[in-house]
Amino acid sequence: MSQNQTMYVSERSVPQGRLALWVLIAGELAIFGGLIAVYLMSRLRYPEEWSAQAAHTSTFFGALNTIVLLFSSYAIVRAHTAAVHKQLNKITLWMSVTIGCGFLFLINKSIEYTNEIHHGFTMSSPKLQDAGNAVGSVFWSYYYTMTGLHGLHVIIGMISIFIVMMGARKGKNLHRVELVGLYWHMVDLIWIFLFPLLYIAK
Amino acid sequence: MEHALHTHEHPQSFWSKYIFSTDHKTIGLQYIIMGLIMASVGGFLAYVFRMNLAFPGEYIPFFGNLNPQEYNTLVTNHGMIMVLWVAMPILLSGLGNLLIPIMIGADDMAFPTLNMLSFWVFFISSIVILSSFFVPSGGFAGGWTLYPPLSAGAYHNTRPEFWSAFFSGASLMIIAVALEIIAMLMGGINFLVTAINKRAPGLSAFKLPIIVWFLCIASLDFMFSVAPLVAGAIMLLFDNILGTGFYDPARGGDPILFQHLFWFFGHPEVYVILMPALGVVAEIITVFSRKTLFAYKFIVNATVLAAILSVVVWAHHQFVAGIDPRMATFFSIGTIIISIPFAGIFLSYMATLWGGSIRFTTPMLWALGFIGLFLIGGLTGLFLGSNTFDIYAHDTYFIIAHFHYTLFPIVFFGFFASFYYWFPKFLGKNLNETLGKLHFALTFIFFNGTFFLLFFNGLAGQHRRIYNYSLFSNVMQEPYRTFEKIATISAVCLILSQFIFLINLIITLRKKEKAVDNPWNAATLEWQTSSPPPHGNFPEPISVNYGPYEYSNPQFTTDFVPQNQKI
Amino acid sequence: MMKYLISIFPKGISTYSEEMDNLFWFITILVSIAFVISLYILLRPLVLNHYKKVSKAAYFTGEDKKHFRWIVIAMALLAASDFAILLVEHPTWAKIEQEIPNPDFHVAVIGRQWNWIFQYPGEDGKLYTADDVVVDEQNSELHVPVNKNVVVDLKAKDVVHSFFIPELRLKQDNVPGRTIKRWFNATVEGKYDLACAEICGVLHTNMRNFLVVESQEKNDLYLKNLYEKKVTNKQ
Repeated sequence: MSQNQTMYVSERSVPQGRLALWVLIAGELAIFGGLIAVYLMSRLRYPEEWSAQAAHTSTFFGALNTIVLLFSSYAIVRAHTAAVHKQLNKITLWMSVTIGCGFLFLINKSIEYTNEIHHGFTMSSPKLQDAGNAVGSVFWSYYYTMTGLHGLHVIIGMISIFIVMMGARKGKNLHRVELVGLYWHMVDLIWIFLFPLLYIAK
Repeated sequence: MEHALHTHEHPQSFWSKYIFSTDHKTIGLQYIIMGLIMASVGGFLAYVFRMNLAFPGEYIPFFGNLNPQEYNTLVTNHGMIMVLWVAMPILLSGLGNLLIPIMIGADDMAFPTLNMLSFWVFFISSIVILSSFFVPSGGFAGGWTLYPPLSAGAYHNTRPEFWSAFFSGASLMIIAVALEIIAMLMGGINFLVTAINKRAPGLSAFKLPIIVWFLCIASLDFMFSVAPLVAGAIMLLFDNILGTGFYDPARGGDPILFQHLFWFFGHPEVYVILMPALGVVAEIITVFSRKTLFAYKFIVNATVLAAILSVVVWAHHQFVAGIDPRMATFFSIGTIIISIPFAGIFLSYMATLWGGSIRFTTPMLWALGFIGLFLIGGLTGLFLGSNTFDIYAHDTYFIIAHFHYTLFPIVFFGFFASFYYWFPKFLGKNLNETLGKLHFALTFIFFNGTFFLLFFNGLAGQHRRIYNYSLFSNVMQEPYRTFEKIATISAVCLILSQFIFLINLIITLRKKEKAVDNPWNAATLEWQTSSPPPHGNFPEPISVNYGPYEYSNPQFTTDFVPQNQKI
Repeated sequence: MMKYLISIFPKGISTYSEEMDNLFWFITILVSIAFVISLYILLRPLVLNHYKKVSKAAYFTGEDKKHFRWIVIAMALLAASDFAILLVEHPTWAKIEQEIPNPDFHVAVIGRQWNWIFQYPGEDGKLYTADDVVVDEQNSELHVPVNKNVVVDLKAKDVVHSFFIPELRLKQDNVPGRTIKRWFNATVEGKYDLACAEICGVLHTNMRNFLVVESQEKNDLYLKNLYEKKVTNKQ
């Protein structure tokens, strides 16, 4: 069997892990694309009610998180460069920085969530419902769904980076550093769309 | 290479060989078997509610009496199961897994473990949908289209407790759908990467058997159309268990939003399952008419075009749903235009038959039956694509008859054609031709018996999902009552005819006699290895020199040229 | 049998029902022609070109113009008939859905689990005022005058319902949170089924009321009676 293994070596230039990841990213972007499209359509239906609600989101924390994520993307790029040069220590360092940024992002997010829940803006916002502003409450449903789904991707990204880092520390599967990097960039990219939609547009 | 790791020879236990196998052929068969099990569930549901339609309120053998709630549950789950747990696993995942690697000369999928995982996620989703029947509130009963607010709390769970909402029929169905979609997406990634990356040397894009094209285009189409529904389903689930109001106008949402998301997936879905069936038919008619496929490149282009168009026609399911009338005109134009590439594809198939040398084997009969029946299904689509007539025909039995004339040939004629054709290859035994032909004839007759007359019931104004239609005495005069009974009796006979298939299968599997490697003299790669193929598919490296349909080419002295024949 | 074939539809009673039926027959003719031609193309080789022991089939790939032009011609014909269908149907669509006339009679029809609610204007002749009359019962009747432009405001209280009267050839979903206007002009007096065509819960089957088309005098009398009974305004 072993001599046959070479016969299936691909002639094509794209490594199949990267190819699969591009397909996965395309699918993920389509999921978020659907969500964003639906959000936009709903927002256009109730522009005033929703911008009144959007005024309560914290632009500061949003901007902070954007910076954190952008920096984490830089870190994972450095990790990739290190992987290309097989500098194992640097890989571990920069991937840890990325995971650290992920934690920072989640901490910011939870402060934000706490703050908003404190003001009565929850998933279904009974406060707004009772005040007769049912339309406005849907903004918060979208807010939590979109940021929550994105946060889930952050967590998944952190876990996969951690798993890859454990291997890469010992010099195993270095090509995977690039793959988790691609995934992390996607997580970052989605945030770049969410930030203006939820935090800046008031 | 990492993907070669699993090919290490080691003794395989029963579990690793048949249950948790990473071999694409085993996984393909697992998908098909699971699909068939779900098909028998879906068929049984259809039997029960069809009996009730013909003989309302009477005792139904093997079931008992049916009440309206159960009736709604049955029609809802029949639709959901038949589309997502029968058509998808059998046609896309089953055939895709069985055929793509071996047809491109690869040893296995690009990611065998992901492939196995995909099946087990699918398996769990089947368990979830089946378990939804047994929760205290009963299975979901609001139509397989899951339209909110009915699916989002208005009747089933008004302001629910979290856990009881979580275990309501609606929630379980949404969760099952989500799991099923995830399984199919994992499979889709695998198909695309495999078909792009693992082709044998020399197998250029237009030397691929066309079914590989169809399966890949279908996977892509599925991936992009289903993604927004994933978001939509999450929102619907939140409406159910967290009390949000995405789709509930009383809580600030919009019910039509979900309809858009659902049909944005729902319509391309029809093409997603149509394409593998079209591929099967192309493989079969070329072999049994000893002809090369007519206008191969045109068919590929037309399919790509249709896949692109398929995501801009969804709202024809919503002509009377309250969308803007001008928007409906746009979607009507799109819908009617999409008939053109498909007409081109079907005409190319018919042109393939011309001047052929036709053998009426069992798979050929199923393939021809598919073309004939789909013709009726497709042409009646023109009535419904016209938004004006849809005002009348929407949600009547005309629609029911129409989509069963498209989906039944796709799913069952497509599947049986492929089954009778590839069975000798993958299971190494020859099926009984006489029983196969009898199975075909009875299925063909009783299928028409079941659905043809329902067109007239629909035109008479009979609307769907009605537990007891005798209430509507204006519509339910003769001959429509008789038509109902004929439809039901035919449906029962249709289900009974499938036992011939089962008998054929049992007889064949007990037979000692082995199938030859290439019983149909086919040119594509899967026939150029042993039957059944070993783990790893080809004992020697394979390289491709010829197109997939080199039959009766005057340049050669032989009747056909295998794709891997040396020059 | 012939009797049944001709009366394939229920009796048409609205001003646009005949157009709808004609549209059906127009599409039927086009589709039948397409069906017969396709069937000929499909069956001819099946009848003529059987497998014989040594016979070789013809070899053409269909990529060349000589053969492929037939597909193009067929697709062009189909495109032409598609276009014809769109041209023929559009005026009817515009008539039913887009050009809603001024109402002679204005009524709101509200879907609810599981019956239709009818809201008539009160004595002031205006809908949505304090004196509106509401009928909210199982199997109740919607009374409208014959030969008058009736505009219905379609609404729903809980879930999606669908207002369907086969004889009028009119169907429209009632969507909660929206008011959708449709109209009809019934030309034949009588009592017709008013069904719900969208699944709306357990007793979807029982959601069946009636449309009563009657002369203007009878209709006035009916409304007067309703008003005197002081049906409470539940809206």
